[in-house]
Amino acid sequence: MPRHLIRLALSLVAVGLLTLADVQWLQVSNGTTVALGFLLIVLVAATTSPLWVAITTSVAAMISFNFFFLPPVRTLTIADPQNWVALFTFLAVSLVASNLSSMARSRTEEALARRDEMTRLFDVSRDVLLMTDSRQALPDLARAVARRFDLDYAAICLPGVDGWDIAAGGALAVSLNPAELSRAFSGNQRVASGPLTLVPLRLGAKPTGLLAISGHAPEAGALDALGGMAAIAIERAHFLEELKSVELARQREELKSALLASIGHDLRTPLTAIGIAASNLQASWLTDDDRREQSELVLAEVTRLTRIFENILEMARIDAGVIATTEQWVHPSEIVEAARDQVGPGLTGHALSTSIQADVLARIDPRLTAAALAQLLQNAAQYAPAGTSIDIAVTTTDRELQLSVRDHGRGITSADAPHLFDRFYRGAGSGSRSTGTGMGLAIARGLLAAAHGRVWAENCTDGGARFTIAVAADIKPAQTGDSIS
Amino acid sequence: MTRSARILLVDDEVPIQKAIAPLLRSRGYEVDVAGTGAEALSMAATRAPDVIVLDLGLPDLEGTEVCRRIRATSAVPIIVLSARGSDDDKVEALDLGADDYVTKPFSPEELLARVRVALRRVFSADSAEVGRLTVGDLTIDYDRRRAVRGEDEIRLTPKEFELLALLARNADRVLTNRTILKAIWGANAVEQPEHLWVLIGQLRKKIEPDPSQPHYLVSEPWVGYRLVTG
Repeated sequence: MPRHLIRLALSLVAVGLLTLADVQWLQVSNGTTVALGFLLIVLVAATTSPLWVAITTSVAAMISFNFFFLPPVRTLTIADPQNWVALFTFLAVSLVASNLSSMARSRTEEALARRDEMTRLFDVSRDVLLMTDSRQALPDLARAVARRFDLDYAAICLPGVDGWDIAAGGALAVSLNPAELSRAFSGNQRVASGPLTLVPLRLGAKPTGLLAISGHAPEAGALDALGGMAAIAIERAHFLEELKSVELARQREELKSALLASIGHDLRTPLTAIGIAASNLQASWLTDDDRREQSELVLAEVTRLTRIFENILEMARIDAGVIATTEQWVHPSEIVEAARDQVGPGLTGHALSTSIQADVLARIDPRLTAAALAQLLQNAAQYAPAGTSIDIAVTTTDRELQLSVRDHGRGITSADAPHLFDRFYRGAGSGSRSTGTGMGLAIARGLLAAAHGRVWAENCTDGGARFTIAVAADIKPAQTGDSIS
Repeated sequence: MTRSARILLVDDEVPIQKAIAPLLRSRGYEVDVAGTGAEALSMAATRAPDVIVLDLGLPDLEGTEVCRRIRATSAVPIIVLSARGSDDDKVEALDLGADDYVTKPFSPEELLARVRVALRRVFSADSAEVGRLTVGDLTIDYDRRRAVRGEDEIRLTPKEFELLALLARNADRVLTNRTILKAIWGANAVEQPEHLWVLIGQLRKKIEPDPSQPHYLVSEPWVGYRLVTG
């Protein structure tokens, strides 16, 4: 408002100055020249200020024109009727011109405001499209609306089973009255109550919720458009959620059938071998050597079945989330020892070397870590050719214990790399050559997830693969037995 | 039989090799063992086995592919070992020329019985009189297109005789539904096994002493049929 008052003052001063100039210095007495000068001032006022400024300026200019230039000068009376016509023509022209230019000005302003709102709406819609997490979608949406429209408060209110689910954004905290929300919702109309504006979110005719905003509210059309967009965003969030659950269900199904196929195959071979070997053992034709070989076969296959069985149990425990962790101080060598022990005869045929970087104690879950390491050792023993060496290395940072298993096999192919830790994945080229169950690395990853650790694999530049386990751990230097008091 | 039969065992699983090879040797067969498809193909060519026992899960070649390549050069009976849950692989192998199948886990007697049947085909084929087959009290005369049980001629429709002759020419082999449908009704009928079920039912009524307990026309569930000579 003061801005407009200044403009008014400036216009009036301009009228005064022009009058002074014309009367005192230029000695202009031609009415047309003077009127055109005034008209120029009125037009400038009309293009830069609201209509009332232009009109006031017009009236002031008219009075000045009459008083100083139309004879008899220095009076407000007019002698010649022609000059009456001139005076009112001047007034009419300046009023029409003011009106026109001020209309043009407000159109421009409106267009700018519309464009600004469109830009904001577009920004919100882009925010909506970028939302991928369906659970965070509603708060994200509320925040996006508040941010893009410079609002103090914006909330998405959805009617829930018991009361309203409200996701709010913006700097202000507002408590919404549920009864008022319900009234606005059933009214299905935009409602302004106090500082709040409630906009129904509509997809089609029926509202699905409300958008509550507070602050400088956008224009009505923009509000409705915003309501429509929010409704679409919510619909999209629901859709994403559904998609995700369908995807999850599909993955579970896939997992189940993979489990059946894999277990079916893994169990049949040892069962067949055990059955035939056991019946061979009953036969009378056996030499002692044969008998020993057949019974060794039975034992080996029972071991294999046991391992499969234990893997299935371990996997079921991981799935059920019943793996409890108990952390305690251990020396890394104990972990390595326990893991080697767990793999047992599976490692014969490979030379094992262990290097431990520093003599420290780590606070970790020893059982889970050793079990995961055992799976890596088992994996290395299965996939690297017999006779090659397997190197275990233990390193520590200030908050992590890392155990790596390096083999000297063929390394990891790029086809296998993305699936290494998938269940029942056995390597694209392995066929059924390997006696693995396809569960080991998946179990290692599952166990480590429970123990706040991770596992990854890489190829070594000089051949072979390296699998590394990292477990979050407190580390302290190991004390020798003598110094313990 | 002047020499003992030679069997080629193809399986990549060492435990299976170690269990089955002594079993077969104990019954007087000579056994060669191959662990890969490539090995199997070369040994099938050089060792001239009388029967091949072939596992379908091989590391280098698909078992069905091995089956196809062996069949391209030789008529040696192939018994498929299948550890897969689905029937598709073994049906495919049978369609590609395998003679029989055993599903893991199987008992030693099951495998030995299939081997005996396969060998009987080999050695009877050498001396078989052309043009007729006698199974128990059933005689099938290909040339005169008729079948006789005991003294009585059995009146068969042309399709019934075609089916019986097809199974008899492949006596003791499993013929898949697909193979039979294609041979008798043509390629368009392979997706319509109901033709076959009806025809088998009619044929059993005419040739089986007790059609509800088939003795000659034995069904291999979901796979196909075989004419049993043993």
